[in-house]
Amino acid sequence: MTNSKLTVLFIFIVICFSACTKDFLEKSPIIGITEENFYRTEADAIAGVNAAYATLQFQMSEAGHFRWFWGDIMSDDAIKGGSSDNDANDLLQLETFKGPTNTDHLEAEWSADYEGIYRANVVLEKVPGIEMDAKLKARILGEAKFIRAWNYYNLVTIFGGVPLADRVLAPSEYNIPRATADQIWDFIEKDLKEASADLWARSEYAPDDLGRITKGAAQSLLAKTYLWRKKYAEAKTTAELVINSNEYILVNDYAEIFTQGGENNDESIFEIQYMNASGGNWGRNNANEGSFTNVFTRARGRFGGFGFNIPTQEFVDEFFKEGFEDPRLKSTVFRIGEPMGDRGIFTIEETGGFPHLYYSKKYFNNLSEQAPFGDPAPNGGSNDRVIRYADLLLVHAEAAAQSGNESAARQSLNQVRSRVSLPNVTATGSALLEAIYRERRIELGMEAHRFFDLVRTGRAPSVLGSLGFREGVHELFPIPQSQILATNGALTQNFGY
Amino acid sequence: MRIVLFFTCLMVAFNIQAQVNIKGKVTFANEAEGAIGVNILLKEDNSVGTITDIDGSYSLTVPSKNSTLVFSYIGYNTTEIVVGDQTEINVSLSENASVLNEVVVTGYTNQKRSNISGSVATLNAKDISEKPILRVEQALQGLTAGVQVAQNSGSPGSTLAVRIRGVGTINNSDPLYIVDGVPVDGLDFLNPNDVETMNVLKDAASAAIYGSRGANGVVLITTKGGKKNQAGRISYDGYYGVQRVGRLVDLLNAGEYATLQSEAYLAAGKTPPAEFANPSALGQGTDWQEAIFETAPIMSHQLTFAGGGPTSAHTLTASYFSQDGIVGGPKARFERATVRLNSNYELKPWLTLGNNIGFTWLQRNGLTENSQYNSPLIRALNMDPITPIRKADGTFAYSNYADTDIANPVNGIAQTHSTWTTNRLVGNVFANLNLGKGFSFRSTVSMDVNYSIQRGFSPRFDLSNIPSISEAPTAEKNLVNNVSVNNYLWNNKQIENVLTWQKNFNDKHNLTIIAGTGAISNRFDGSGGGNSNLPSNDPKDAYISNTVDPASQVPYQVANESSLLSYFTKANYELDGKYLFSGTFRVDGSSKFGRNNKFGYFPSLSAGWIVSREEFWKSNFISTFKLRASWGKNGNDRIGDYSFSTVVLSGQNYAFGADEIITNGSVALTSANPDLKWETSTQSNIGVDMEMMDGMLNFTADYYIKKTSDMLYASPIPLVAGTLAPPQNIANAENKGLELAANYKNTKNIVKYSVGANISFVTGIVTGLGRGGDPVPSGYVQFANANASQTDVGQPIASFYGYVTDGIFQTPAEVEAHAFQNEDTAPGDIRFKDLNGDGVIDIDDRTYIGNPTPDYTFGLNTSVEYGGFELGLTFQGAQGNEIFNNTTRYDFGYVNRPSVALDRWTGPGTSNTQPRANLNDPNQNARVSDRFVEDGSYIRLKNTLLAYNFSEKHLQKLRLQKAKLYVSATNLITFTKYSGLDPEIGNIGGSLEIGIDRGFYPQARTFMVGLGLTF
Repeated sequence: MTNSKLTVLFIFIVICFSACTKDFLEKSPIIGITEENFYRTEADAIAGVNAAYATLQFQMSEAGHFRWFWGDIMSDDAIKGGSSDNDANDLLQLETFKGPTNTDHLEAEWSADYEGIYRANVVLEKVPGIEMDAKLKARILGEAKFIRAWNYYNLVTIFGGVPLADRVLAPSEYNIPRATADQIWDFIEKDLKEASADLWARSEYAPDDLGRITKGAAQSLLAKTYLWRKKYAEAKTTAELVINSNEYILVNDYAEIFTQGGENNDESIFEIQYMNASGGNWGRNNANEGSFTNVFTRARGRFGGFGFNIPTQEFVDEFFKEGFEDPRLKSTVFRIGEPMGDRGIFTIEETGGFPHLYYSKKYFNNLSEQAPFGDPAPNGGSNDRVIRYADLLLVHAEAAAQSGNESAARQSLNQVRSRVSLPNVTATGSALLEAIYRERRIELGMEAHRFFDLVRTGRAPSVLGSLGFREGVHELFPIPQSQILATNGALTQNFGY
Repeated sequence: MRIVLFFTCLMVAFNIQAQVNIKGKVTFANEAEGAIGVNILLKEDNSVGTITDIDGSYSLTVPSKNSTLVFSYIGYNTTEIVVGDQTEINVSLSENASVLNEVVVTGYTNQKRSNISGSVATLNAKDISEKPILRVEQALQGLTAGVQVAQNSGSPGSTLAVRIRGVGTINNSDPLYIVDGVPVDGLDFLNPNDVETMNVLKDAASAAIYGSRGANGVVLITTKGGKKNQAGRISYDGYYGVQRVGRLVDLLNAGEYATLQSEAYLAAGKTPPAEFANPSALGQGTDWQEAIFETAPIMSHQLTFAGGGPTSAHTLTASYFSQDGIVGGPKARFERATVRLNSNYELKPWLTLGNNIGFTWLQRNGLTENSQYNSPLIRALNMDPITPIRKADGTFAYSNYADTDIANPVNGIAQTHSTWTTNRLVGNVFANLNLGKGFSFRSTVSMDVNYSIQRGFSPRFDLSNIPSISEAPTAEKNLVNNVSVNNYLWNNKQIENVLTWQKNFNDKHNLTIIAGTGAISNRFDGSGGGNSNLPSNDPKDAYISNTVDPASQVPYQVANESSLLSYFTKANYELDGKYLFSGTFRVDGSSKFGRNNKFGYFPSLSAGWIVSREEFWKSNFISTFKLRASWGKNGNDRIGDYSFSTVVLSGQNYAFGADEIITNGSVALTSANPDLKWETSTQSNIGVDMEMMDGMLNFTADYYIKKTSDMLYASPIPLVAGTLAPPQNIANAENKGLELAANYKNTKNIVKYSVGANISFVTGIVTGLGRGGDPVPSGYVQFANANASQTDVGQPIASFYGYVTDGIFQTPAEVEAHAFQNEDTAPGDIRFKDLNGDGVIDIDDRTYIGNPTPDYTFGLNTSVEYGGFELGLTFQGAQGNEIFNNTTRYDFGYVNRPSVALDRWTGPGTSNTQPRANLNDPNQNARVSDRFVEDGSYIRLKNTLLAYNFSEKHLQKLRLQKAKLYVSATNLITFTKYSGLDPEIGNIGGSLEIGIDRGFYPQARTFMVGLGLTF
């Protein structure tokens, strides 16, 4: 009996041993791969840079750039809208320049920019070590540099000097203080110059790569950077590189630009890609290819939107200043009585009783263009037209006018005007400059340029003063209070907040 | 490996002595029949013993005349008899009212309650089966001090928040559940009638034997097993009942709504709809609460077959339970069917094999719950009363008045098709080896296999009046139907080996030592997919492949695994029956933690002194007086499986090309933390147990301090990092508490009665949050677009944080005189206190405005028995907690309001509590403030039971052993000041989401009739 007891006991001990193998406690993720084992192939490099692209699409909290929040709502062209004053109330406070410093939307912008910078930095650190086609590698690094520069461009124009993360930061470096705005601008210039050299021209990309950053995009953003820094001569020559590349033209039909068919057309220099069939959902839209802009800017009521970014009367009036209705108005706003695409006629009642006379039209999607599955609200399909050739021509015009070459300025300006059959401008001096500014407001209306143009050219205090804008303060938005706290005060607040 | 050491010391030997044969019969006092299943053991050697048979007879061979026999049976006094010259020993066992003799399962050992030095609460089958509870956790509600139980939702099959000694962590606060030795993640699969005992290990010393998983306390459940030598028994238990909503919120009717809205329109400079001009013509309108609540059935059937022979015993049970929802009816139905077989076989005198195996099928239909956006409740509370449920043509109507986001709740329920189906096997097989000399060895292999399918379907619908133009708001239509399916497979395996040595030296030293090892391996596999635009709109056809384009499916697959390897030991030592010592030590290694911290070490010590057994103890009134003290460490390992690693995740996509091809992107979203380790809680406990009046009255008190350190928290890192924060071991918290419980039981008179009461005080504060200690916000409230709660150093977890109201501005002068709130602030708006005195009301004027955790929770239960009748009442409640009432969408000016809104300010002196009506709320009266914080205290008559037990005479006629008929009610009466539907709101969405009512699905008031029969 004793022996059988011990035999049974022995069997149990053996069972236990076999259960406890050496690496029993070593479990690595089954799906996904650890960072040490990634970044080894050409496909890894492409996937790496694609992840950086994905941040361009970010909208909403906790990370996202709605460019029109800052460019349009904060300007005299539009007001916030929404269901009531309480709907995104922080935007109301910001647009009336009573801005709180803790708004989710500023924090989301900050967060999305730095996520993009982090992902670009990962590419710039990991991809050089991959053995792959040299031309492709150069392009990928160029794409990453552009994305990094683009995010810094957002940051410096919204917040001024910000912490400069020129590499993947270690936890000990999270509290780095703000660099000066000039240091950030210098960094942007350097990235864009390098990116311009490495990136492929638009025509060099395969059709399936449409939407990737091109040489022209990097040069255009560099021209805009120079213009902001009042380096007019450099801005002019850089813009001319784009013009003379013959990669871009103004399309004939202005109205066509903002339709689904007008996406990535010959006028498109930098466009953030969205699509309506990704099935994505609310929240941080990593996996979501859709845009919220469509639903946010559509009218409420039967149009099923949230009714944000409402054009002002003053903005609409600007289209009549030449004594007739500018032909671009009908592509820019909806007016009462007009059909809102295939969604029905715009009346106050149908929009839920809100007293708005206009709605923004450039990011309108038809019912027939709505996402075929998933929640249609976060799955709008309209690409964000960030830099159009018309913008670049007007940059060129402004740079030329500012550097004394008025005929070149007028030529670019009138090229934009003649597309919509408007008479040539013949003005000179400050009147020419004013004409260029006005052309930007109309040509690029509701495309998130206005506030930044006003600040860049120093006109914001006079134009926005009646709305509460104070010179020396509201050129910049406040640094998110949460970030000042998170860094134990290593970040300082902007003046006046 | 270390475990070898435990076994190499085994020595097995046998002695042979002069033997005596004894036989006899055991009866219970006052009963003629023999007592079945009484344990008879040789005091000198516990390996010798037997159990009485059906007649109460036994026979036993003992080594010598000097042997002492110990007769024991649960609930009766243990009797010791020296054999001497007797060969027939007949014993009558007297009933013991004392709870100190009950056997308590303490984790790998069983101990008599009198010998326990830690803090353990026990519930027996009687406490559980006599209440028609729906889920096992409910049995703990109101019956045990220090255990707070709240329903996470009143919807059938909802989980419960069980908090042992308060919320000790900002992470998962659920206790560890062990059913027959198998760790499980909740008890929804368990038939309450199958439970024999539930033991709650409250202090760290008791729970430390579960090491890295014990920090939130441990609930040990033993299911009913067969008893040897027991006549076959068949029982049926069943009940049927109806459920109704307890109470409704007082809302505006159509006329009142129109009156208020007209004012609100005018105040906002808008013209009210013409039909609001004559409110009295609108009358009552639609009562949306009546529209969604219904009377719903509930039923349970249970069959038990139990019996045992001399070498084996079995219990086989089968049960079916079904409950419809008081909202949604069958759309919220929960059904559960279980079968269970618990057996043990004495294969050899020294080898017992057994199994506890249960299979559960359950199905739960789900509605959206506790959501401030689209739950049926929130829609019913906010939908305007003018809109009818249905249009004249019988189809559902949509609102022209309330905000377009507020959808018709009745239609919403009708369009919901969501089902969760589980097939689950939880069980173990074990072998017990009696090695002699006090050594025994137990090996257990357990499995928990759960295969669940979740199916969802959103049909096409459109409430538009003119379908061709589809004018209804987005929330009232779904133009593209979609279907989803998710398959989940959890496969958890465990093997445990425990060696036990029990020895009594010189009748003075009682020693039990155990040593064991355990290995657990868990794997989760999930896959599923979705599709949309199905040609058929019938839920019966809702399969992802039922579409014109099968390739359009969106599939996914996930998988993860974790493992835990453990070594543990425990020693209980009892000296002279007066001094008790216990110590445990456990080593846990987990795959979830970083390379640098794979193993955690968890020690504990406890001691007890039974003062009343000392010579000097003279009191007869207090028959037992015991002091206890314990200290121990526990861990909490409930974090993600791979939190320590940096994983490059695909799916960070972007669409390129004219054809919008979704192209994969990959990046690591979270930084790594190779130092990740256990969250550790250290707890000290002192307690006293007293028994008075011959065991009729007993009293227990415990005081504890529980410190949680290295709490896992993904403290937000500066966003400049561009990554999500990894969890780090940085936060600390401290809970202190006092628990008192008293029970009085009088079973001597014809009228038997008992009264039990318990009360638990807990105060918990956060003592550290790492990185400069930024408060952790939680509890997002949509109407204020802000968080209602925050967790900060020095404050209770998830305290409400916001503005303090100070009445209503009555005149422009008052607005002028007060700190600046808003340019459009006007008389009738709420005055907020300028706490920092800077003349501006802004975020710096917020403060702590409430605590969602009660100061104390309590339970009171009483029962009276007389002549077969039995009346039982259980009260239960909480005191001193606040609830943030987030059930009205104040961000929408057009929605319906509670009736108190009628008391609005309309001119100087009209109201100092309810602000003026204004669609736009320019003053932001709806910001997070104490206006929405309500007293959440309540007392609830949780259970009421009136039963009749048929007398012996009737039973013989009916050839039954036992018959019981009862009526019962749950949630019959509730006393509370809270204005919402139900003050007993649980905890959905993590430990920090507490005390916020987002349209909580209220608990039903239930009436049942039940029957119990035993053949």
